Amino acid sequence: MTPAERPLSPHLQIYKPQLTSVLSITHRGTGLALGIGAIFFVWWLSGAAWSDACFRAAQAFWGSWLGKLFLLGWTFSLFFHLLNGIRHLLWDIGFGFDLPTAYRTGWTVVAFSVLLTLFAFGGGLYAWGSP
Amino acid sequence: MTGRAAVRHWRAQRVSALALIFLVLWLVASLLAHLGADRAQVQAWLGQPIPAVLVAALVVVAFFHLALGVRVVLEDYVHTPWRLTTALMANHVACGALALIALAAIATLAFGW
Repeated sequence: MTPAERPLSPHLQIYKPQLTSVLSITHRGTGLALGIGAIFFVWWLSGAAWSDACFRAAQAFWGSWLGKLFLLGWTFSLFFHLLNGIRHLLWDIGFGFDLPTAYRTGWTVVAFSVLLTLFAFGGGLYAWGSP
Repeated sequence: MTGRAAVRHWRAQRVSALALIFLVLWLVASLLAHLGADRAQVQAWLGQPIPAVLVAALVVVAFFHLALGVRVVLEDYVHTPWRLTTALMANHVACGALALIALAAIATLAFGW
């Protein structure tokens, strides 16, 4: 008997997205995004230390439309990775690994990431606009 | 990665995560307080000992945590052995170099070199 040709599990094309798997990949994605953000942070620090032109270029970037979009992305990435990271640490000490709790903490992480992002980014824009 | 190395990696990732909870929250508050700061204001901020030490700790722990995280991603997605070895080395060199550049910048600002 020849075995049927079927995808190995878990195969992304037939794997139904669920909150748990989506948050897991988002944790990885936001971690990588923060890595890119860290490079920009070093660029800004280096400018402050050594070069007026470099510092002004970094300032001009944050002030631009694209720069603000990046900052919004990094703000969300930071709060998500922070809160979901705490969720991971709680799992590590044995809390909340059952499915109902994992869903509840998952949605809590999503809600608070969005709220904190709006709060920090909105507050930042407001303060920036009116020094 | 197997055995003891894997356990060390697991523990290092979590210990650095715990430290980053506090360092990152402090950084967000500090950056919000310095929005639109010019170069002189940034120099004045990092010319103080506590902010300089905290930013230095943050970049060291953050790039360490990043190197650990990127390593796991590479191990998951790069399957050719020589490519994986090269990528892992590039990851460590890049994260180490960025941390060193940041430390040099902070030292310049802190000591007014």
